[in-house]
Amino acid sequence: MSEDFNNNKIIHAQSSETIGGASGSPDMDYVRPAETGDQDLYHGHSFITKWIFCQDAKVIGVQYFLLATFTGIIGLILSWLMRLQLGFPGLAGFMTAEHYYQFVTMHGMIMVVYFLTALFLGGFGNYLIPLMCGARDMVFPYLNMISFWMFFIAVGVLLASFFVPGGPTGSGWTLYPPQSILEGTPGSGWGILLMCLSLILFVAGFTMGGLNYLITVLQARTRGMTLMRMPLTVWGIFTATVLAMLAFPALLVGSLMMSLDKVLGTSFFMPTILKAGEVLEYGGGSPILFQHLFWFFGHPEVYIVALPAFGIISDLISVHARKNIFGYRMMVWAIVGIGALSFFVWAHHMYVSGMNPWFGFFFATTTLIIAVPTAMKVYNWILTLWRGNIRLNTVMLWCLGFIVTFVNGGITGIFLGNVTVDVPLSDTYFVIAHFHMVMGIAPLMVIMGAVYHWFPLVAGKFLDEKLGKWHFWLTFLGAYSIYFPMHYLGFIGVPRRYFEMYDSPYVTSAVGMNEFISIAAFIVGAAQFILIFNIIKTLKTGKPAGHNPWKACSLEWLTPSVPPEHGNWGDRLPVVHRWAYDYSVPGAKEDFITQTTPPSEVANTEVEKT
Amino acid sequence: MSDPKIEGYQFKPGFSGMAHDTASDQTMFKGVHWGKAMMWIFLLSDTFIFSCFLISYMKGRGSTPVEWPNPSEVFGLHVFGVDVPLLLIAIMTFVLITSSGTMALAVKYGYEKNKKMCGWLILATAIGGLTFVGMQAFEWSKLIHEGVRPWENPFGAPQFGSFFFMITGFHGTHVSIGVIFLFIYAYKTFAGHYDEKKRGWFTSMKGDYVEIEILGLYWHFVDLVWVFIFAFFYLW
Amino acid sequence: MHPGIIFFLVILGSLLFHIFTPWYWTDIASNWGSMDDTITLTFWVGGGVFIAVCLFMIYCVFKFSYKEDRKAEYKPEDKKLEKILTWATTLGVVALLAPGLVIWNQYVNVPKNAIEIDVMAWQWGWQYRLPGKDGKLGTTKVININDENPFGIILEDPNGKDDILIQSDTIHLKNNKPVKILLRSVDVLHNWYVPQFRAKMDAVPGVITYYWFEPNKVGEYEVLCAEYCGVGHYAMRGRVFVKNEEDYAKWLDEQETFSDLVAKQKKLEFNKTELAKK
Repeated sequence: MSEDFNNNKIIHAQSSETIGGASGSPDMDYVRPAETGDQDLYHGHSFITKWIFCQDAKVIGVQYFLLATFTGIIGLILSWLMRLQLGFPGLAGFMTAEHYYQFVTMHGMIMVVYFLTALFLGGFGNYLIPLMCGARDMVFPYLNMISFWMFFIAVGVLLASFFVPGGPTGSGWTLYPPQSILEGTPGSGWGILLMCLSLILFVAGFTMGGLNYLITVLQARTRGMTLMRMPLTVWGIFTATVLAMLAFPALLVGSLMMSLDKVLGTSFFMPTILKAGEVLEYGGGSPILFQHLFWFFGHPEVYIVALPAFGIISDLISVHARKNIFGYRMMVWAIVGIGALSFFVWAHHMYVSGMNPWFGFFFATTTLIIAVPTAMKVYNWILTLWRGNIRLNTVMLWCLGFIVTFVNGGITGIFLGNVTVDVPLSDTYFVIAHFHMVMGIAPLMVIMGAVYHWFPLVAGKFLDEKLGKWHFWLTFLGAYSIYFPMHYLGFIGVPRRYFEMYDSPYVTSAVGMNEFISIAAFIVGAAQFILIFNIIKTLKTGKPAGHNPWKACSLEWLTPSVPPEHGNWGDRLPVVHRWAYDYSVPGAKEDFITQTTPPSEVANTEVEKT
Repeated sequence: MSDPKIEGYQFKPGFSGMAHDTASDQTMFKGVHWGKAMMWIFLLSDTFIFSCFLISYMKGRGSTPVEWPNPSEVFGLHVFGVDVPLLLIAIMTFVLITSSGTMALAVKYGYEKNKKMCGWLILATAIGGLTFVGMQAFEWSKLIHEGVRPWENPFGAPQFGSFFFMITGFHGTHVSIGVIFLFIYAYKTFAGHYDEKKRGWFTSMKGDYVEIEILGLYWHFVDLVWVFIFAFFYLW
Repeated sequence: MHPGIIFFLVILGSLLFHIFTPWYWTDIASNWGSMDDTITLTFWVGGGVFIAVCLFMIYCVFKFSYKEDRKAEYKPEDKKLEKILTWATTLGVVALLAPGLVIWNQYVNVPKNAIEIDVMAWQWGWQYRLPGKDGKLGTTKVININDENPFGIILEDPNGKDDILIQSDTIHLKNNKPVKILLRSVDVLHNWYVPQFRAKMDAVPGVITYYWFEPNKVGEYEVLCAEYCGVGHYAMRGRVFVKNEEDYAKWLDEQETFSDLVAKQKKLEFNKTELAKK
């Protein structure tokens, strides 16, 4: 096997690199010698080791992306079925209340965990972290491969629950006991067990991937890449991974205890229960304990999705506005601060859950404190646009769409985080509108922007701009007209998770709106297939992108070959001399200076020291 | 995996110097092997798992309407006609802590490239772990014999059985996994895989004595967790 | 069309939608008008920020769209501006949070004169229990619940004897009299929610949760279950009538107490055994 390694051939990056520029002293280009030797990589030769059980983080990233997208499409189809029922009750004959609740549950769980989390951390994380940090690969490629295949099995188990007796669990994505494991909820037998098993597998697989992301960022950056020179994408994914490593344990423990309650008849979450006139064998457990465990995972989970999105959007805006990200330090500290605070706010999901009401004061305060760093990020995004030189291409449109939807959803978050305002609005459609806007649509805008931005790197070809614009406007306008009016259903008081609204006089006034929302949902869902068509078309006939097509500064565009090969950097690791945002530097010839450009080559510029 | 060498790096004094070192290029933890850093972070994550278990246990124990059984009676042993509380558990704890000591020695001899001593000490650690698991199995069977089940408990609150079996079981699984790896590593040490830097079976990464230290970290952690479980279940 | 125009129309549309929407909250029928006020306050502050941020963004898109010969400004940070923005935001957040906490304090502190009502939930329905002449509810236990004792009242508890039992999903409340809703559930989570009263709280099996409000508008309202509780969740409705003093007293008189129920059942049983003897 050892012949598969070519590490002996790699020339180690030279210490004291002194490529003297035309002017300026070579001393200013000095970068410390390498601390570690070059990474030992396993190069696959057969089809299986190259594309299936592959240890290259870039291939693993694409694998994660494709599988997450696949499950995401299933989630999308489920949402269509739900909207069909809500907009036009009774139109789909097969739709019973059981089915409806199963679809609600699976849609929620798939979208939050198996789509967004897997896509941002598994997909973008794997692809971008080594490239942006200047590493050859993730530090533990074998573990990284296992991580993907664990995710694969987890998805398999999750989807298998559609085919077991009783169907998938219909307990809502929060899986609150006692209801989730009792008769009266669809899928309370096999469904909930497979769900718990799938989550445990997902957490195990994710832990393997997460260790890779963290150690790569901490210990495998290239020479000159200090923490404060890392692109915000890396900061976002890194912090999100830290959150995941500390939050997923609570989910794991909750799932395990619930499985035991179901299988062995323990009573961790089960108090004395009277069902159909008979007292069940359970007793003495606490249902609220599960809610605490769930939301101790669940709230950081929101930021596990949001922080990578924050990071990626910062980079996209900066590249396409041809301007450095405004207040980089503030942005980094905001990401870290939001991450840290997110562990102290979980019970704002539980204001009306029956927990000790005095917790309300504490959690309302911590929750609203988070609004401050988040608002700072928003200010910095729009201040980056200010006096920029904005390319209004598809990527930038997604960014603008993100700002609108994120600010909208963030502000409704202030409604729900403020304990008193939450009382009338919790468990209504206002909540649904809020979290779809802020952690459904807004991250989706980022994903789409990122796909249009990095596709030229991954595939070497530009996606079609015209189709991209259609895709954007249909998605943005459609999604906005789904969720903006939906807040008002919440004001009326329409509760969530109602299979049918029935006859309440004030609720029937919303029939027209529900029909409108459903139609918009069908259109938005269908519009996503434009992207798939665009990708297929581009792979066949797309315009080649070449090196660094967006004229970006960050490392991922500076690989010797496009798309980058295994090992990323050819013979020599890059050496970094500056942060990732030197756009439009006064005195420079072009409007960007790449991270690898030594100071002596751009000696007459006024660059901030980073 | 590669050997860290941090020539040319001068650590800076003071708090701001520490911040500077932390944020400097290439590595955050200077000279720390990738695998070791990974194990530390994994253990941090694992700490959260055990914390969730133990906090749930505290909550469960605090809110159950039925009386919690008295640990010194439930866990007591009847030896030579006398009731000795916590006897078995004291031996178990002693064995596990001793095995931590042999593990630490194994790491030391590993770095000294003393293959034989290192291998024997790893084996001793593995046998200590195995003894611990065996005694735990004995304790489980004793409790099961007395009628304690995860779902019921003749001595009081049924949650006692649930939490006890779940948490000690989860910890026992950790120990068992550790024991399996200890045997593998003992074999690899004796066979000289670390001396020849032989590539691993699965990961195809070069062998190195640092792996023993990484496993040692895990082993000490499992020990430490046991101390907490011991305190929470047997002394509370 | 310039994308900025479309974005502008989206913002304008949102504003117009908010002004002219036929869908807004139901007329309030309880003392929690202050909750509506906090919502309105949050709307003004939040909506203002939303519109300001979006308009600024749209302005930038118009003003600074790409020109080959222009170079963007190079300004990595502006400490002063960032400081001002941080403090302004903090101030705004405090302004929103403070009234919220004050009202929450009212929400968790029940007035002394409130009537306690035991709301018992199960899959899928409600029933209610009011204290009798003594003004106290008897203690209950889930395992005591059966056909003879539908609320599971502990028989030894003297307070329970005169409790008024309402085995129906309809309850009547006295206008302008605070009520403390004591929620319990015999199986899964539920939530007794009347949109017009604004307040809500989950019913959790194993514990008793509470909240309070003071109805202040005579009328008929619908109770909705607001915490997912299984397939029948959407159908788990109830009814509340808020009545003035006389109507309420009349209604209350017609209700049966626990001892009435026990007596009735004893009689029934007695008749049965008599019948059997004959």
